[in-house]
Amino acid sequence: MTRSWVLVTSLCMILLLAGLLLRNGVLLAIALPYLLFSLIPFWRSVEKPNLVIERRLDPQYLVGGQPCRMTLSVQNVGNGLEEVSLFDLLPAGLGVEGDFTYHGNLRSGQAETFLSILRGVRGKYEFCGVRVLANDLLGMSRCERFVPSPATLAVLPGMERLERLKISPRRTRVYTGAIRSRETGAGVEFFGTRAYVSGDPLRHLNWKAGARWDLLITNLFEQERIADVGIIVDARSIVEVRTNGESLFERSIRAAASLAEYFLREGNRVGLLIYGQMIQWTFPGYGKQQHARILAALAKAELGEHAVFKELQHLPTRLFPSESQIVLVSPLLPGDVPMLRYLRALGYHVLVISPDPIAFEKRLLPQDACTDLAERIACMERDATLSKLRRARVSVVEWDSTVPLNIAMKQARVGIKRWSVG
Amino acid sequence: MVRWVKRIAAIASSLFLFAFFFCGHPGIAIVGGMMNLIWALDEKLTPRIRRFLRPWVLVFNTAFSAYGVLADGLAILALFLVGSSLLSWNAGFFLERWGETSVTIRYQYLRRIGSLIGFGLFAGLSALVLEGHLMGSFLPAFLLMLAAGILWLQVISKALKSENPG
Repeated sequence: MTRSWVLVTSLCMILLLAGLLLRNGVLLAIALPYLLFSLIPFWRSVEKPNLVIERRLDPQYLVGGQPCRMTLSVQNVGNGLEEVSLFDLLPAGLGVEGDFTYHGNLRSGQAETFLSILRGVRGKYEFCGVRVLANDLLGMSRCERFVPSPATLAVLPGMERLERLKISPRRTRVYTGAIRSRETGAGVEFFGTRAYVSGDPLRHLNWKAGARWDLLITNLFEQERIADVGIIVDARSIVEVRTNGESLFERSIRAAASLAEYFLREGNRVGLLIYGQMIQWTFPGYGKQQHARILAALAKAELGEHAVFKELQHLPTRLFPSESQIVLVSPLLPGDVPMLRYLRALGYHVLVISPDPIAFEKRLLPQDACTDLAERIACMERDATLSKLRRARVSVVEWDSTVPLNIAMKQARVGIKRWSVG
Repeated sequence: MVRWVKRIAAIASSLFLFAFFFCGHPGIAIVGGMMNLIWALDEKLTPRIRRFLRPWVLVFNTAFSAYGVLADGLAILALFLVGSSLLSWNAGFFLERWGETSVTIRYQYLRRIGSLIGFGLFAGLSALVLEGHLMGSFLPAFLLMLAAGILWLQVISKALKSENPG
C-alpha cells in the first residue's frame, strides 16, 4: 500500500463515518468513488517482482582515474510488471556517469541491459544489489524487493616505475637476484682476491696481482641474490596532512605501491604491513600474484586513530625475517626515532622513504613572515629527526611529494654517495 | 494526453466548486476554485511544491464537497466534484512518476482510471437515485447497482484468492 492509498482510504472512511453518524445518504454516495480507489490493491495487487539481475564490471581492478564499465543485466522471470523502478545501491564515494535509476514497465521474460561508467578514488567498493519497487499504474499498491547482485571493484593506487634502488640487507635468500649478498660466488661485482686453488676458472685469474706477488691470484665475485623486503606503510592519522582535497597518505600509498612493484620485479620476496587502525599484514611472497595481493591491500588501506598504534613502538618486528630489508614509508615524527634505531640494532637494514609534510602543506599556506618562520622551525625539527636517523645508519630518502619518487630516489642516491665519499 | 486530462479535470473541479458554492458561500468558491486552477497549471511550480499541493487539493475538494452536501447543496455537483478531483489528483500523480511516456502506457492508464472513475460516478449516481436525490426510474439505478455488486463480488473473490492462493 502506498501513501496515496492511505490518503484515499482515510478520506473514504471519514466520508462513510460522517454519512453513518449524520444519517446522510449523499455522503455515503460520494464516498463510493473513494471506496473503489481504496479497493484497487485487493483487486489488482502488485505481484512480488521476480527479477534476475547480473552485474559485470570491466575491469574489476583499475587504477585511480581509470574508468570502469559496469553492465547491469535485468531479466524479468516472473509475471509482467506495469511499473517498476530500479535503484542501484552504489557504494559511497564512487562516481557514476549518468544516474542509474530505471523507471518503466517490464513484461514477462523481458530483459534490459544498462551500461554505466564508474570512476573512483583508491579503495575497495562492494556492490550489494538493486532495490526494486513495483507499483500498479494508479499508484495505489506497491511492492518492494531487494535483489542482490554482488560485485567488488577495487580501485588500486597509482604507481610509478622505479628505475634503480640499491638495498643491501645483511641476509639474503638462496636464489639468484639483484642484491649483493656479501658472499663470494658466481656474480659480476668484484669482491676480492685470493690465492689460486686447483679448480678455479682460469679466466678469473688476476694477472696483474699475480705478477706483483709472484703467485697465482684469482678474482672473487660477490653473489647477487634476492632478499626479503618488508614494506611498512605508516597509516597513523597523526602523521596525515590533508590540504585542499589532497592527502599525504595517498602519496605514501602510491610510493608503497611503486616500491612493491620494483622489488617484486627484481625477484625479491615482498611483504606489506599497514600500521594504523590495526595491523594489516600481507604475507611475503613473490611474483605477480603477490603484487596483486599487495595492491589489493593498499587499495583497502585507511588511516587509523587507534591509541595503541599512536607510536611506532608496537611495530611487530617478528613479522619480518631477521636481518632483512625494511622499507618504511612515513612522514615521520620525532618520537619514531627510537623504534627505528631499535630495528637497526636488531640487524634489519632500514630504508625510510619520508614524504615531506612541510613542503606538502606549505604550498597552500599564505606566503608571509609567519609562514616562513613556522616553516623554518618545522624544517629544523625535521632535519634534527632525520640526522638522528642517519647517525643510526638508517637510510633516509627525503621526498618532496610534488616531484616523482624516482627523481627523489636519484637525488638521494647522489647525496648518499657524496656523503659516503666525504 | 494525460496532462490535458488532468488540466480539464482540475478546471472542471473549479467550475463545480464555483457552481456549488457561489450562491451561498462565494469565499469558499473563490479559494477552492483558485486552488484548483493553480493545480491545473502546475507546470510552472517546482516539483516540491507540486508534490505538496497534490494531496491537499484532494483533501480540500473532498472537505468542500462534504460541506456542500451538509449545507444542502446539489448532491450531483458534490459527486462530480469528487470524481473530477480524484481524476486530476491521480493524473497528477501519474505524471509525477512517468512524465512523458509511451502511448501504450498512457492509453492503458487512461483506460483504467476512466473505467474506475466512470464506475465510481455511476455507482454514486445510482445511490443518489435510490436516495431520491435525482429524478430517475428505479430500473436503471437497479441495473447500475447490480453491476456495482458484480464488481464488488469480483473484487472480494480476487482478494480472497490472493489471501488463500491454495
